Amino acid sequence: MVAMNPPTDQETRGRNDIRGLAEPDAEAPKVARVEGGTATFDAADLSPRLVNLELRRLIYAEGIREVRIENPGAKHSIAVGLLARCRITINGSLGYFGATLGDGPEIHITGRVGWSVAENMMSGVVVIDKNAGSLTGAAMRGGDLVVRGHVGARTGIDQKGGTIVVGGNAGSMTGFMMQRGRQIICGDVGPGMGDSMYDGEIYVGGTVAALGVDCIEAEMTPEDEELLDRKLGIYRIDRPDTFRKFVCGKQLYNYDNLEPSERKLVL
Amino acid sequence: MTDEMASSESMGLGKSRIFTPEVINDIHVKADLGRYRMRGGGIFKKIPHWDELVFLPGTLTRFVIEGYREKCTTKTVLGSRFAKNPLVLDIPIYITGMSFGALSLEAKMALAKGASMAGTATCSGEGGMIPPERDFSTKWYYQVIQSRYGFNPHHLMLADAVEFFIGQGCKVGMGGHLMGQKVTEQVAEMRSLPAGIDQRSPARHPDWLGPDDLSLKIQEVREATDYQVPIQLKLGASRVYDDVRMAAKCGPDVIFLDGAEGGTGAGPHIATEETGIPLLAAIPEARRALEDVGLADEIDLVVAGGIRNGGDVAKCIALGADAIAIGSAALMALGSNKEVEGADYQGTFGVSAAEFYHWHTGKDPAGITTQDPELRKRLDVDEGATRVYNFLHTLTLEVQMLARACGKTDVHSLEPEDLAALTTEASAMARVPLAGTSYIPGVTESQTLEEIKTLLAKHVANDGGGSDV
Ligand SMILES: Cc1cc2nc3c(=O)[nH]c(=O)nc-3n(C[C@H](O)[C@H](O)[C@H](O)COP(=O)(O)O)c2cc1C
Repeated sequence: MVAMNPPTDQETRGRNDIRGLAEPDAEAPKVARVEGGTATFDAADLSPRLVNLELRRLIYAEGIREVRIENPGAKHSIAVGLLARCRITINGSLGYFGATLGDGPEIHITGRVGWSVAENMMSGVVVIDKNAGSLTGAAMRGGDLVVRGHVGARTGIDQKGGTIVVGGNAGSMTGFMMQRGRQIICGDVGPGMGDSMYDGEIYVGGTVAALGVDCIEAEMTPEDEELLDRKLGIYRIDRPDTFRKFVCGKQLYNYDNLEPSERKLVL
Repeated sequence: MTDEMASSESMGLGKSRIFTPEVINDIHVKADLGRYRMRGGGIFKKIPHWDELVFLPGTLTRFVIEGYREKCTTKTVLGSRFAKNPLVLDIPIYITGMSFGALSLEAKMALAKGASMAGTATCSGEGGMIPPERDFSTKWYYQVIQSRYGFNPHHLMLADAVEFFIGQGCKVGMGGHLMGQKVTEQVAEMRSLPAGIDQRSPARHPDWLGPDDLSLKIQEVREATDYQVPIQLKLGASRVYDDVRMAAKCGPDVIFLDGAEGGTGAGPHIATEETGIPLLAAIPEARRALEDVGLADEIDLVVAGGIRNGGDVAKCIALGADAIAIGSAALMALGSNKEVEGADYQGTFGVSAAEFYHWHTGKDPAGITTQDPELRKRLDVDEGATRVYNFLHTLTLEVQMLARACGKTDVHSLEPEDLAALTTEASAMARVPLAGTSYIPGVTESQTLEEIKTLLAKHVANDGGGSDV
């Protein structure tokens, strides 16, 4: 046998992190087929890095405005940080951090998504045909995020703007520390809803298991009804007959001046 | 007369060291307020600190480097692990993240300008990017912090490095605080909050919980920034060995450790006093952790917390830091805690300028930790920038001086070998020998124990199990 070459510096140091997520040296695979302004590629054998490089190449370098991704295989961090107007269809499911940090794209996911979908979205539309995991639309700032199925816990945590529409039910702590924006939940909502919210509105078509700290019910107005009709109409989601609206009670704005009777709220 | 009724001072029994006048006053204030007390600044109580370490420069056993004539390089590169563009600093010191909100616009601009003059970096801090700061910074960190106030992917793309805030040394385990007085319309709008509220930022990130998801979050931001810039994780120094091991496994380029000495714009006094471990204890633990996961040569270590002078900086480097970030000292260089024309520290805050810790009130007479338009006028951006630059330059000269005296032609060659401790506590924590001895508490004992175990094992082996039990 020939003696093995000593490992190169590259091999010993490894250009990979321990979990094998980092791929610093990759290049766009250039596998997409382009037909009539629409690009399509199969992601089955591509890592998240390669999928994103291909997307970026198509959208930024080639100026293509419609992309279709087949077999996304529930990969994480797909279609993130896209700051351009474009339309992306993902035919299947995504893992964590799908379609996040975007400003402009319209992204349609035909399957399910894991945690933190559309996190910090600035504008655009993300539509998910089935269920979403927890932390859906975390810290979202604008745009429409639509989940036709159910969502997990803490939907719209730290939400700062935009609209989250859920066709099914939502888990516990929905709207936790929400700052602005709107949530429209057609189904039932779990306990702790609107806990510590600062502002914004949560509309619920079903039941609410329990409200969180400093979340109160408010009167529905004709403007609210109009908004619900409009948003649910656009995304063709069946509208429950009645909705209730929940907002911030504003008792926790200044913890310096709480009355003794109010203090237990924050324990 | 019984002594219980002692009327003259000479007959008194003494005074409590537990219930001091300050403690009693604190109890009285809390009994009035019904809440914990907020303040700015860093830890008050005495903890083992850099003063308890000294350098052992070259004499005959080590060759010294000529000051002024022979080079001693200070260039510092952070994040070359995965980033296409690592952060290259001219000096091993940069300005840590302090939010716009905690600081005035002028203070942020002056820090950015001063840092750029020194060839080093600044960091956005919590409240989002303000364009003038970005314009003045030649190297700029953008923070991904729990609250994500003002977080904008367009700004993310402008960053030279990204810092994930996971904790800070001053109040480990907590989010940021900004009192209502400082939450002006502008500050509130940048953070999407109602104006005037007491802002308590979340302590946990909205989109990930544990280290497994953090790995994915890092992947997400790397994908979004196309691997162009380093990813740094900022941790408050707590269970440093385990935390750094976990952090390293999440795949960052740089780890930032903030010691218990670290300052804040506003935080609960009790947290400032009672959370975290000192930096001199944290750095050796972090190094040990990085060695143990085999990433010591790949992940860079930045440290901060209570750094005052080039001696502190040099000691951090000697214990194993690659770069040092400063907060409070940079504010003081700008002119914080200084007598200014028209200010009445004693009358307004009940303390002298030097003891002024009321950064949380937004009434800073020096115009630094405030949003008040009148007070802000007192800080001249260009003058402030020059002062910050002068201070950063001086810190660098001091580090070089100590490094040369220890025989180093690069400040990064300083090593634990170059240090001795003045107290047993500092010796045990920093793991450098007590001055004049070769003794390191804990380390010496376990080495001795190992030797005994080895000897015993040999002895048993030689005996060949001779006993007939
Ligand atoms: C006025 C002020 C504001 C701060 N704001 C932030 C912030 O927004 N984000 C953050 O990570 N740390 C913040 N910190 C903490 C610093 O980044 C750093 O951890 C600390 O200041 C280091 O300690 P030193 O002040 O003793 O140098 C702030 C500190 C101060 C003094």
